[in-house]
Amino acid sequence: MRSFWAMVRANVKMSSRNRGALFWNLAFPALFIVVFGAIFGRGAITTFHVGIAEPASEFGEAAAREMEANPAFMVSRGPAEEELARLRGGERDIVLTFPVAEADGRPAATLYYDMARGPSEAMAVGVVRQTLNELAGGEPAAAIEEEPVDAQDITFMDAFLPGIVAMNLMNAGIIGLSTAFVNYREKGILRRIRVTPFPLTSFIFAQALSQLLVVAAQSIILVALAKLLFGFHLRGDPLAIALTVAVGGLTFLAIGFAISGVARNAEAAASYANLIAFPMLFLSGIFFSMDAAPGWLQPITRALPLPYLVDALRDLMTRGAGLTAVWTDLLVLLVVFAVAMTIAIRFFRWDASGAD
Amino acid sequence: MTTTASDPSTVPTAEPIIEAQGLVKRYGGHVAVNGLDLTVYTGEIFGILGPNGAGKTTTLEMIEGLRAPDAGTIRVAGLDPATQGDAVRRLIGVQLQSTSLFDLLTIAELVELFAGLYGADDSPERVAALIAMVGLTEKRRARVDQLSGGQRQRVAIALALVNQPRIVFLDEPTTGLDPVARRALWATVHSIRDEGATVVLTTHYMEEADVLCDRVAVMDHGQIVACDTPAALVRSLRADATIRARLSGPLPMAELAALPSAIALDCGGDERCADLRLQTTDAQTTLIGLLALATRESVALAGLTTAQATLEDVFLHYTGRAYEVGEPAAERNERRGRRRRGIN
Repeated sequence: MRSFWAMVRANVKMSSRNRGALFWNLAFPALFIVVFGAIFGRGAITTFHVGIAEPASEFGEAAAREMEANPAFMVSRGPAEEELARLRGGERDIVLTFPVAEADGRPAATLYYDMARGPSEAMAVGVVRQTLNELAGGEPAAAIEEEPVDAQDITFMDAFLPGIVAMNLMNAGIIGLSTAFVNYREKGILRRIRVTPFPLTSFIFAQALSQLLVVAAQSIILVALAKLLFGFHLRGDPLAIALTVAVGGLTFLAIGFAISGVARNAEAAASYANLIAFPMLFLSGIFFSMDAAPGWLQPITRALPLPYLVDALRDLMTRGAGLTAVWTDLLVLLVVFAVAMTIAIRFFRWDASGAD
Repeated sequence: MTTTASDPSTVPTAEPIIEAQGLVKRYGGHVAVNGLDLTVYTGEIFGILGPNGAGKTTTLEMIEGLRAPDAGTIRVAGLDPATQGDAVRRLIGVQLQSTSLFDLLTIAELVELFAGLYGADDSPERVAALIAMVGLTEKRRARVDQLSGGQRQRVAIALALVNQPRIVFLDEPTTGLDPVARRALWATVHSIRDEGATVVLTTHYMEEADVLCDRVAVMDHGQIVACDTPAALVRSLRADATIRARLSGPLPMAELAALPSAIALDCGGDERCADLRLQTTDAQTTLIGLLALATRESVALAGLTTAQATLEDVFLHYTGRAYEVGEPAAERNERRGRRRRGIN
């Protein structure tokens, strides 16, 4: 155990001295935060434009009055047909219809929304659902699992930052670890470690843990930056967030490790890493929602690990949900971790020449 | 090929610590090590001498447990590196050929890290002592990426000593060093042995093998062609001296080889034998015969010298060709790598 911590300490020391990498690993996501933050401002994205179809039930009228009194909503009324057309045209964020007949005495509502307008749309749906539920006296008008979020508090940055944290985790693992490991192999450092009694598994886990510590520190800096400049609100259980960051981090470290085994040299490792990381970056809903993407793209998106991490972190950090809301995401990430680790161990090589 | 029997009587304690028999290692169709036998005795500095590509590094790496032999047996202090690798690794210290290290650590941090990896003493005093042993005390706070090649080599040797090993393996420890740095390293190797360790090193420098090693194994084409103390190897040639000269014209080969007392002739592969090398058991009689032959054939002898036989003559004698270092493995790999990537 002493040897393990000696290795971790040395790794963290080396990472902190690798000024170039340290700067770019921070500067790249920080740039996104500043640019996007400047464009979309620090204001709340809370003027949800809600259309209420007429005629509405008693429950519907009550909901309309409730929302009209709330500055977070801008309420319009009109025939269902017209309101739905406006939703498609982008003039409404959400349209609600309230069937007059309340057969079983339970208030009913149908919620129409258009996910094409990015992460803020999911927020609007959550807030509207919550308002309806409260009105209905706690009885769910629709299946809801989110925890309450105060609509006025959700800023653009609140929804944007979790994606940036996920992106950082992916880059550290897929690009950072794979290039570091191939470099160690090409320079003969792995062979030098091999003639010590220090086990390979310890070396790998020390490497993974140190990378995780470094990327966690970077994430804290990014959160602080977003909070300072754009008033980011961190919600959710810190332990649940830490756990999700750890699971996501390990998954992408394992992918990076698998790449370093498959790639013959540093150049190949860099190309593979970018080939995997870049499409994932844009197909994961960090910058725009994937719900608007054409149908054939959807299965591809669902097959990538990054969207699961983005979703989980958003549920936790933006909506303040608990672990129960994200356990399926974590499960998917763990499966990817296991597959990547299997590939990594299968293709592991001690030296660049390929001879045993 | 003949193998000179080792002479254990010249070694302080004739107790074997490394024994290898019938070692074979193939890379694809290429046989790197071809039926090699080798015994190293406790407390000696044992040198493996040979040109690049002779199989020195492969031999060392099989003994260290880095490569599995295709055939043959190895015992290191009675242990088998293939099956008892962990126990062997605790007994040995290794400096690999052209290893680079973690560039971003200082010398002191690196030594401390490796001591930690062995679970050995990593106290500041011990770290300082190891650094002092390789003469880098003033540089202990310098980062590895700020060191010269010779200083890195010395750091690598300090790392090979962190676990107080019984056997220290040094793979071409002085390659690429200037003469001053080389001599400093020889002193370090002697002090390692004086502290009680057995040292096994490879080299392609004849002089280094001669000055530094208690016993030398001369290696060529994956086999040991001779193994003994440097003095005994030279003596075994029965050669008094080597006569060298540049010839202005051709001399009949058969007559050259038949000169009185001449035992070996090398023309460097040149038919005209412009660069003559002649080993003799009696320089005087051979010289008289050579001068008579040259006079008869009207050939001038330029730069005529006679010199005491050296390990180079040993290599010539056992392999039938003059010693040439050849291309270093690292550059060979580099070229192969470029070809593979289609650069060139």
